[in-house]
Amino acid sequence: MPEISLKMCSKLALKAGSIILESGGATNRVELMMYKVCKGFGFEEIESFVTPTGIFLSIGDGKNELSTSIRRVEQRRIDLGKITDLTRVVNTLYEDNCAKCPPEMTKYDYFRQELEKIDTQQPYPSFVTNLCGAATSGSFCLIFGGTGLEFALAMIVGFIVSASLKYISLLPVNNFLLNAIAASIIVILSKTMQLGFQSINLDTIIVGGIMILVPGLSITNAIRDTMSGDLVAGTARGVEALIITVGIVAGSGAMLKLWEIILG
Amino acid sequence: MRSNLKGWRVLLTGLGGGICYASYLIILHYTESVLLSVFLAIILVCIYSEVVARMVKTPVSVFVICVIIPLVPGRTMYYAMRAYISSDMALASSLIFETLMIAGTISIAIAVVASATSLVLRLQQRF
Repeated sequence: MPEISLKMCSKLALKAGSIILESGGATNRVELMMYKVCKGFGFEEIESFVTPTGIFLSIGDGKNELSTSIRRVEQRRIDLGKITDLTRVVNTLYEDNCAKCPPEMTKYDYFRQELEKIDTQQPYPSFVTNLCGAATSGSFCLIFGGTGLEFALAMIVGFIVSASLKYISLLPVNNFLLNAIAASIIVILSKTMQLGFQSINLDTIIVGGIMILVPGLSITNAIRDTMSGDLVAGTARGVEALIITVGIVAGSGAMLKLWEIILG
Repeated sequence: MRSNLKGWRVLLTGLGGGICYASYLIILHYTESVLLSVFLAIILVCIYSEVVARMVKTPVSVFVICVIIPLVPGRTMYYAMRAYISSDMALASSLIFETLMIAGTISIAIAVVASATSLVLRLQQRF
């Protein structure tokens, strides 16, 4: 027998679902998690339809009550830590029937508190992510055959690009423009560096920088969604990956050509 | 690595990425075929991530996303774009084709492993 009302349950499930969707989870994972939340609270009739930009959820109590809600998801970032934590919490609810919950709280309060905790969880400080961006860019520069000096320069480029990605995304720009601007920053930086160090190979540095922007998450999610039969979500993610890729190419290409025209 | 994953799991994904590129280079050395080595390397690391993710109780896609990144064809894409700018259309189109082929191969490899895993899991449940 369900112990909370339909509305409360659908609110919780929507919250859990939108956290996963906002952190870049696959849509079938969102559906699975919302199913587990509702099942964990004792509701049997659950229908959900998730696209990358919104969630539809309908729960029934088996008699004649039905609650349907829609949630629009505006922003999407990558935050695999949140997905991992939320999966753990939902599994304690669904599989162990909340055996480890503190006894003085009801299941509902405990779950809501955990959700709040995950939602307000702070990501790594931006300095650390920027340093990781620098390391990524430098390492890819080495993989593609860069020398020690190019490695150091690629690290600088990676650091500046990850930092500027954060500030550009504060402006109201879409994915295409964001990646185009970031790619053109990479090209400007490495071209400027070539003025200082004549001997460096420009390609390894630019490729190292571009690898930060490449949409690995969207591609993976697109394939996994399509394979699990979610054609709408799979196509949408695939198009997202395509748009980002075209943005990167357009940004860096336009900037290379401009530099050639102005300073060549 | 830049995806806000906490703690020692980062080391596991890093190891996966290392295995990915190392096996790519080894297989490339023996077979001298880029697509085959990409295919086999991705299959290998996808199996790696399915196993490890179950061991440490983490969603599988978290691992898959991180370990395929070394083979994503960013370099050929850049060279294609550069050839396009210097109006060398023959080179540009062959590079674009190569990029698409590699990306398609990666997709097929991920799909193969994902379908095989769900098949194996279903068989395990039945018997």
